[in-house]
Amino acid sequence: MSEPAPRPRHRGQVMVAVGVAMLATLILIMILGPSIAPYSPSATSPNSLDGPTAAHWLGTDSIGRDLLSRLIVGGRGTLTITFVAVALALTAGLILGLTSGYIGGKVDLIIMRLLDVVFAFPVFLLAIAVVAALGPTVKNLILTIAIVYTPAMARVVRAPVLSIKRWDHVEAARSVGVGEFAIALRHVLPMAISPILVQTSLILANTIFTVTALSFLGLGPPPPDPNWGSMLAEARQFMELAPLTVIGPAVAIVFASLTFIVLANGLREMLDVGSR
Amino acid sequence: MLRMILVRLALTVPILLGVSIVAFGLMRALPGDFVLAAAGTNTVSQEVIDTTRRQLGLDRPIWEQYGIWLQNALSGDLGTSFATKKPVVSELLPRLAVTAELTLMAGLTALAFGATTGLASARLRGRTDWAVRGLNSLLLAVPNFVIATLIVLLFGLYFPTIGIFNYVPFAKDPLGNIVSLLLPAISLALTVSVTVSENTRAAVLEVSSQDYVMVARAKGLLARTILGNYLVRNALTPVITVTGLQLAALLGGSILIETIFTIPGMGQYLFDSVTRRDYPVIQGIVLVSSTIVLLMNVLVDIAYARVDARVSYE
Repeated sequence: MSEPAPRPRHRGQVMVAVGVAMLATLILIMILGPSIAPYSPSATSPNSLDGPTAAHWLGTDSIGRDLLSRLIVGGRGTLTITFVAVALALTAGLILGLTSGYIGGKVDLIIMRLLDVVFAFPVFLLAIAVVAALGPTVKNLILTIAIVYTPAMARVVRAPVLSIKRWDHVEAARSVGVGEFAIALRHVLPMAISPILVQTSLILANTIFTVTALSFLGLGPPPPDPNWGSMLAEARQFMELAPLTVIGPAVAIVFASLTFIVLANGLREMLDVGSR
Repeated sequence: MLRMILVRLALTVPILLGVSIVAFGLMRALPGDFVLAAAGTNTVSQEVIDTTRRQLGLDRPIWEQYGIWLQNALSGDLGTSFATKKPVVSELLPRLAVTAELTLMAGLTALAFGATTGLASARLRGRTDWAVRGLNSLLLAVPNFVIATLIVLLFGLYFPTIGIFNYVPFAKDPLGNIVSLLLPAISLALTVSVTVSENTRAAVLEVSSQDYVMVARAKGLLARTILGNYLVRNALTPVITVTGLQLAALLGGSILIETIFTIPGMGQYLFDSVTRRDYPVIQGIVLVSSTIVLLMNVLVDIAYARVDARVSYE
């Protein structure tokens, strides 16, 4: 082999750095939101369905609202739902996965079989059914997504815990009288953090998809609040009149999911997950 | 072998039961009254409400309702659509066939495309490897409904003569039917092809380092022969099973794709039913699709055990 040995860790670090930079951009836009948007997201102008112009960089929608402003403010809604929902799924997954994996036995069996039931549904189908049943509000959307992704989270937490709990340092901690709860939290969970980080990042990417896809189908947060999915749906509706209005929301959705995919791939290489 | 199949099926039964409880409970947990939704209007007299409630069996205890519902579902009766007043099953089956065809086409496309890029990336390494992995990250980031929207946009702008919204039924014109499903299948396939590609790459790399490949190389066999006889054959088995496991993703994606391309499949039916709040249909589709996905997973497991003697399920 004449090629120099690959340095995956280094490559992983570069990818993580790129991912973090992209994430910082997203969060910055999310926080600043309305204050950097050139117009109010609900302000209308007589120029409806315009292509990109100097006054409206991304054009205007069917009732003359500035698309760039709606994209910026809409990002806040989409990303808030995503972050809160994944945080909930992560919390539930940590509790269930750690309990299940650490205690084992019957508890493990019962928790995992129950999660298997949720896992058996195609994610997007279950999300649609739950939102349809509960009604499309921001709260229900967050709840739905948290439910749908909890089993995947719990599985990723449980798998490493099963083996880590048999390691020597756990036995050592137990022999000096550390409580089981503290062992699980302080000596087992930290060792399992790498795959959890990677999985969280991947689920964030999937959640961007689920949130925007639901809004695209009209099951997102109710109007008039802008969000990327419904903006894309509207742009599609008026495609013959203003084809370029599709670009803004499409690019935003892709950028957001790419952020988390780059982050996940980078973390996977940097932390050497799944190559054992 | 038979024993293994039976065990695997037996393990699926409790999960199926759980799925049926969720599907049943979901539609009973509705905000607002199920009866009002069934009657189709909000302004009905108390008498009508009582009659409908009795007709639907809603005056009985909930576990009894579930029992009746499950018994009916098992005998192929998924209730009556609120919107059309026709049996859900008779409306669902023809649409299921359309979705099955679309999903199959998308699966095959994903398999062909993903296996090619994965093989190229594992064999050629270097720049190709980087290009394929970059492409995969990008494809993974572009959701299928964005791809579909962009395809519709491009074809609408540059090839307006090609009717991309003209779904042709298979019975009328089999070839035209396949052509009309081509673009939807591609939009559905691209995301799934990433999983196929990454698994192919990993499998080919693993097989390449096996002793028998080294022996074959040492014997002086042509690279082409090694590729065809050893690598592809051994690496593709796990890849095909992985594609089978993507069925859930394909079914979920078909809801969006069918709505965008106006294909009269199960996904569009679900979308219409959600907008119409046609709960028995939603319930039926959730139950049927999850059952299909579960059985498919069992099938994949069995197929995998059949080709790989090392796998066993006790």
